[in-house]
Amino acid sequence: MNAVIVGSGLAGTIAAKTLRELRPDIGIEVLGEERHPYYPRPNLIEYVAGRLARERIFAFPESWAERQAIAVRLGGAVVRIRPDQNLVETAAGDQVRYDALLLATGARAARPPIPGIERTGVFVLRTLDDADALLAHLGEHRRVAVLGGGLLGLEIARAIRSREAEVDVIEVFDRLLPRQLDAEAAAILKAQFERSGIGVRLGETTQEILGDGAVRGLRFGSGGTLGVDAVIVAAGMTPETGLAREAGLQVGRGILVDDRMRASHPGVFAAGDAAEHAGRTYGIIPAAFEQARAAAHAMIGLDLPYGGTVPANTLKVAGLHLTSVGEVHAAGPGFESVVRAEPEAGLYKKLVLFEGRLVGAIWMGTKKGALEIGRFVALKKDVERYKKDLVEDAFDFGEAS
Amino acid sequence: MDKYECTACGYIFDPAVGDPDNGIPPGTSFDDLPDTWVCPQCGVPKDLFVKLG
Repeated sequence: MNAVIVGSGLAGTIAAKTLRELRPDIGIEVLGEERHPYYPRPNLIEYVAGRLARERIFAFPESWAERQAIAVRLGGAVVRIRPDQNLVETAAGDQVRYDALLLATGARAARPPIPGIERTGVFVLRTLDDADALLAHLGEHRRVAVLGGGLLGLEIARAIRSREAEVDVIEVFDRLLPRQLDAEAAAILKAQFERSGIGVRLGETTQEILGDGAVRGLRFGSGGTLGVDAVIVAAGMTPETGLAREAGLQVGRGILVDDRMRASHPGVFAAGDAAEHAGRTYGIIPAAFEQARAAAHAMIGLDLPYGGTVPANTLKVAGLHLTSVGEVHAAGPGFESVVRAEPEAGLYKKLVLFEGRLVGAIWMGTKKGALEIGRFVALKKDVERYKKDLVEDAFDFGEAS
Repeated sequence: MDKYECTACGYIFDPAVGDPDNGIPPGTSFDDLPDTWVCPQCGVPKDLFVKLG
């Protein structure tokens, strides 16, 4: 039995690890396009911020794969898969035969078609090579614009600000984190960012990245301009589905899979950012993790169904705590919200209930209770009796759970 | 002793169990883990863990 995994990111690595734990006797091969061994992407933010040394980015010791008898080939793209022949072809011209194939091809950073996006000094942050290139540039360029006020854009802005560069966040929507926050919470967050010296421009479309060869500035739809010498595009992710599509597998936004992570051809599976399950692509670690475990089981005929992941978004930046989980807008019959806000203190707590059950929450400005509130939402807990107490600082989660 | 959860992948560090695969014996508190210790599931460092209430 030979299990082949395309992709050496979290889903590919966790699947390989799980396969080995389950079956000491099978062949496991990981084919990775990146040159580097597995690292968790949240570490890139820590690295860019200067809080994590480069050698500590990697998750496992160098000898890990060898000790696990997992054959890892890095720095080589897979150019074609042939599901009818159980073969994978690499750019180097090798053919690798498989009994079970996992496509853990991940996602790439989206690059919107803004005129000038090809200029020197425009970056994305998805890979370690991206981070290295960005840091090299920031050595001599200190005026930075981050295009995108979503989670990644804000984490990048904070990381770069901690290197004492000048940073502006440019967001098309009229508030930060439009998918995770309501207007009131977003206003508090914006004030927090501005207090830390980060500029925030809302409702701005970037019409052009100005410059000669190198970046000199941005021109906005409103007519204004901003002088910068570095631009980081944080405009979301696009699942990497090319191999699957060319092989004739069913692809929507991601590679379509069922509850056992099976793609549309026998013997082929998908997991992680590239996979689309029940109409959803996730792009978050817990989902990639659970999918990889389910896929590893299915690849060797064991049954561990995947039932979806409740997205919980935690903005992990020093001195600022923010968790947003589930439904954050109480719109429609049966919905109700409970809010406690102290804008001066940067505190905002919001519960969204549906018929007495907790279906969403925003928890900002405090760590206390953040994890528990996420659990309560995942359980759709009935909190009707103590909903007002729940947003108080003194609330004892231990007793309620 | 308190348990801690990895905010990246959900792994729970339980002092009673430790992390024997990586040389951490049962009975080790989270604070006493070396700074070089990383999440055994996904590999993020200690500071991406939060205390379970």
